[in-house]
Amino acid sequence: MARFVLRRVALLLAVLFAVTFLGFAAMNLLGDPLVNVVGVLAELDCDAIEAGTAEDTTVDAASRDCDTVAAARAEYHLDRAVPVRYGLWLGDMATGDFGTSFQNDQPVSQVIREKLPETVILLVMAQAVALGLAVPWGVLAAYRANRAFDRGSTVASFGLLSVPNFALGVVLLYLLALRWQIFPSAYESDSVSGLLFSMVLPALTLGLPLAASYQRLLRTDLITTLQEDYVHMARAKGLPPMRIMFRHALRPSLFSVVTVFGVSTGTLIGGSLVVEQIFGIPGIGREIVTAVIRDDFPVVLAIVMVVAVTFVVLNFLVDLLYSWLDPRVRAR
Amino acid sequence: MRSVGVGALMAGDPLLSVRDLHVRFATERGDVNAVNGVSFDLHEGQTLAIVGESGSGKSVTAKTLMNLLPRSARVSGEVTYGGHDVRALAAAGTKHFFGVQMTMVFQDPMTSLNPVKRVGEQIAETLRYHLGRSRSEARSEAVELLDTVGVPEPARRVRQYPHELSGGLRQRVVIAMALACRPRLLIADEPTTAVDVTVQKHLLDLLDDLRRRRGMSMILITHDLGVARGRADDVAVMYAGRVVETADADTLFADMRHPYTEALLRSIPRIEDPVHHRLDPIQGRPPESIDPPEACAFAPRCAYAQSDCLNGVPELDGLLGLHRFACLHPTGTERGAAAMSANQAAGVTAAGMPVGGDR
Repeated sequence: MARFVLRRVALLLAVLFAVTFLGFAAMNLLGDPLVNVVGVLAELDCDAIEAGTAEDTTVDAASRDCDTVAAARAEYHLDRAVPVRYGLWLGDMATGDFGTSFQNDQPVSQVIREKLPETVILLVMAQAVALGLAVPWGVLAAYRANRAFDRGSTVASFGLLSVPNFALGVVLLYLLALRWQIFPSAYESDSVSGLLFSMVLPALTLGLPLAASYQRLLRTDLITTLQEDYVHMARAKGLPPMRIMFRHALRPSLFSVVTVFGVSTGTLIGGSLVVEQIFGIPGIGREIVTAVIRDDFPVVLAIVMVVAVTFVVLNFLVDLLYSWLDPRVRAR
Repeated sequence: MRSVGVGALMAGDPLLSVRDLHVRFATERGDVNAVNGVSFDLHEGQTLAIVGESGSGKSVTAKTLMNLLPRSARVSGEVTYGGHDVRALAAAGTKHFFGVQMTMVFQDPMTSLNPVKRVGEQIAETLRYHLGRSRSEARSEAVELLDTVGVPEPARRVRQYPHELSGGLRQRVVIAMALACRPRLLIADEPTTAVDVTVQKHLLDLLDDLRRRRGMSMILITHDLGVARGRADDVAVMYAGRVVETADADTLFADMRHPYTEALLRSIPRIEDPVHHRLDPIQGRPPESIDPPEACAFAPRCAYAQSDCLNGVPELDGLLGLHRFACLHPTGTERGAAAMSANQAAGVTAAGMPVGGDR
């Protein structure tokens, strides 16, 4: 077990290293980061101004433009080579200093603290919707395999899987918020219950297609499990069908669903970019979109890191879940 | 949704009665007739052995009795248990019938236990569901049951998972599980085929002993006539979905009539045989059950086959409960002897199988 955890930690570090390096390189090589910090001042030829060969056009005598530029260069280590800058940034990260946003001089850690909870609530609710729907749906479809309900749900799930997020979001918004006015159409944060209630539609938008794919996987695995001798044995023991489904067949049939559950987090975060825009949720997804557009690389990199850590940790938990699902895994 | 209790049977009434059972599976290649008109009676406290090769329909018969066939199966005929129509009980979703009145043990103990549940839980589950035992009552009963079936250290075993037990132990667990609610009828489908030879006899003796002590009835399904010998009161030999010979065990072994029964017995090695004695396997393969010809299904592999064997399916002669066989040239009779010598003289049977002169 200790070796297992160690291997996982090593993997986490390797993933973080790769992800941040790629992200860092991309943000620094595409365009001059200085422009994003100081704007047009980046155009100034400060060497020439200092040497007196160019005119200093500073308007405000209290802070000379070239001092601003020099301060920015120093803060973001912009006069160093990219790999060195990466090393320095990594060092800051390791000490818990996530840097400052270019856009509004807010500490990045504060940005994350403010935006992350909204997205986490959204993703947890989306997974809850997906699993909560997929388990009974998959069980019923497998129980009635190839009958009307199963065929209908095949059509429904392929429908859900082929509709893009934004389209589904807009349809749900129109029907459930505007037409029937069951759910609010936009984000509310007045109260916890109001917040959760306003998150229902976004969670459905993300969760329904996921429920469809879980349902497909669970149905197929269940149909296989139902052929097993121990299911026949359970029937010979006279247990009722639904008890056999939930007590005997379900757990051994959850492997694919659990695997996809782990991997789907990445897809969900991608989906939350769109969904947060549609429903006006001030979460990580919206933040990263604006940060990327403005080349605000401290924010982008921090978010990328948060996502990567979540992904690796979640999949580590999924591995632990396997051994709960099947005691034979534990023995290995 | 009522539960079914079967009280004392009228004297002479069978516990289980099967009449003209047919099972057909629709496949893409055509209908497979897995069971073609099987009838038998099983009396309280008795053991019936159903013997036959793979594909003879013996397992399908057992699964039909337990209502375990897939939905694609088309079943006709009558199965009654203590006067109740079993298929009607199953269709009505009757609680506490299967598992309490009749239950089944499967061939492979490696696959018939749920790999993700502790064995104690799997035994206790029926006690809790059918008999309403509390969790702790069921647990201690599970330990007792494991002890009854000869599992050492039962208190420790109940907490183990199936993969932690050997094949022989697992089959004992399966037996304990099946017997938990004291069923009156146990169907054992090749219960020892998948375990080591050294364990087989122990398990068969255990089943026999439990049956005797509990006054249970048993249907023992096997491909091995030797297993049936000494353990069964009655034997039914099945071939191609039909019972081809049936009698009480003593009569059958002393006085067998069907060439298939004879061939089955000859294909078993016996301890009295000289060392390096060549076994006498049955030639050819079991017949296809899609569109079978209107003939004796065993004729192509039968050393006695005459031309009349190829015209029409021989009926199972005689009255139910007596020695019955479906053969036109039965072994041990003059007709059989004549058929055999004619075939030996010709060197070939009417169905075209070569016959050696040295049989």
